[in-house]
Amino acid sequence: MFTPLLDALILFTLTTPLAGLIGRRIKHEKMAVATWATVAFVFSLMLVFLLYSEVLWGAGLLIEHVSALPPEGVSLEADALSMFLATIYLIIGSMASLFSIREIEEGSPTGFYAVLLGMITAMVGVVFSGDLFTLFIFWEAMCLCSYTLVAFRKEKWESIEASFKYLIMSSAGSITILFALSFLYGTAGTLNISYLSMSLKGSGESLMVYVALLMLLVGFGLKAGMVPFHTWLPDAHMAAPSSISAVLSGVMVKAGIYGLLKTLLVIFLPLQGSWRITLAAFAVLTMFVGNLSALPQDDIKRLLAYSTIANSGYILLGIAVGSYRALTGSLFHVLNHALIKALLFLCAGAFIHGAGTRSLRDLAGIRRTMPITGTAFIIGALSLASIPPLNVFWSELTIITAGVEADMPSLSFLMILNLVFSAAYCLRMIQAVAVKRETSTSKKAKEAPLQMLVPILFLVVLSIIVGVYPAPFQTLAETAAQAILSPA
Amino acid sequence: MVPSNYYIACSIILFSLGLYCLTVKRNMIRLLMGLEIMINAANLNFIALSSFVVEGAVHPLAHVFTILSIGIGGCIIALGLVITIYAYRHYGTLDVRELRRLKH
Repeated sequence: MFTPLLDALILFTLTTPLAGLIGRRIKHEKMAVATWATVAFVFSLMLVFLLYSEVLWGAGLLIEHVSALPPEGVSLEADALSMFLATIYLIIGSMASLFSIREIEEGSPTGFYAVLLGMITAMVGVVFSGDLFTLFIFWEAMCLCSYTLVAFRKEKWESIEASFKYLIMSSAGSITILFALSFLYGTAGTLNISYLSMSLKGSGESLMVYVALLMLLVGFGLKAGMVPFHTWLPDAHMAAPSSISAVLSGVMVKAGIYGLLKTLLVIFLPLQGSWRITLAAFAVLTMFVGNLSALPQDDIKRLLAYSTIANSGYILLGIAVGSYRALTGSLFHVLNHALIKALLFLCAGAFIHGAGTRSLRDLAGIRRTMPITGTAFIIGALSLASIPPLNVFWSELTIITAGVEADMPSLSFLMILNLVFSAAYCLRMIQAVAVKRETSTSKKAKEAPLQMLVPILFLVVLSIIVGVYPAPFQTLAETAAQAILSPA
Repeated sequence: MVPSNYYIACSIILFSLGLYCLTVKRNMIRLLMGLEIMINAANLNFIALSSFVVEGAVHPLAHVFTILSIGIGGCIIALGLVITIYAYRHYGTLDVRELRRLKH
């Protein structure tokens, strides 16, 4: 009854244990479930391209009413924005699933792949929901899967500690969202996103609406890594397996961004004057805290996690500016940051697999023993430092110029200042990996196995393509921005 | 009949109690109880506010939402308890102040 993509993903998720059972019979449980997950991702990527072309050149908006007609019932909607994000989710998810074939050596592989597929499914569900309650259910499914995956290495204390902290903070955020939904339901009598924006336009400004706005900002912002609600993020990213860190940082943070986009720019668009300054302040704070905390880190994954917070700040800044061009930049940055951060986390995972340490000091000079991974890591770090021919530069440039065009040059200036900080720690990473003399740990490292190199090289090629030839990808981001600002 | 404003006031008080519990309490199981109180506050608020939509009656859609969200709340708490058990095995205590080894 859902869209074919979501149907297929749910079916694949539910049948993963079956694949594991068959695999256990033939003594190759891990290969069986990994193959099954790869088949699932390839199949759904094909479906997503079909649906995307249908949305872009055909209907523009696909709606599936699950029960009664809106404003009463619940519905699934897929517009250009949903398809844009769903494609990113599936690409990063498939890369993570390929990478984890070698990374996940202990624990139950069936459980891991079932929960990973479930998490990607839930994220696709989040961007496909046409009303806030469906969004909330998929949101919670996504959160539950991510808590499980962070705690996957349950024999390590740090996974358990990070997961508990993450569970408490993130659940408090989701419950805040639910509380805000109840206020919205009480004011407007519906939770359908497009009806909600219409009925709030008429209802004027009551206290309840403002409370709901603030609570949604906090709830979704917590997931998007907004400072001061970011403290779960570095711990969770550090303690999770690297492929999961790639998914968390690359795409799950973006689900929070999606929630903010929908609530602020669609539902609360009439109140733009009241949330704009607040969001801009949060965005600037997020950038500064993220970048400045990343500077002194020695743990490579913790450094990358703080850089995720900073990049989340850039995206929020684009939303705060709110013009068509700024939004294009933000969405384009969602794509670029997902590619680059997934690449860097996967490379970090390969380093950890090869050398057994996360400390940058011990990883010094590892490019000489792991040349392919090291080079890929350097390309990723250069891109994160916004060096022109690589992809991150283009989206950051769009956000900065859009800020100047929209008469907010101070915001653009603050962002440029932050790019200097981020370049500093990116260069420090490159120096550690490539320039410094090898340590005894990095001398013993071996090049990563093929299953790890394939996703890394794919992401490198993809980010170089986006960097050298950004026009088609920017157009996709433009249509997605169009879908928010002037819905069909 | 009790006016529905009372229910809303009650749910806001419950929500603040849950939040207070999350910020002040040290025991991991109490934190999960705080979460549960917050979930119940939100559910109560849903039911109370849905009587605004249709005068004098609770809208059936709100019931559906609430039942689903009770289920979700159960999932969160169950997972939280599983993690608590593992934390107890690693740390030998339920005090969250002990879970600070990741701080740098």
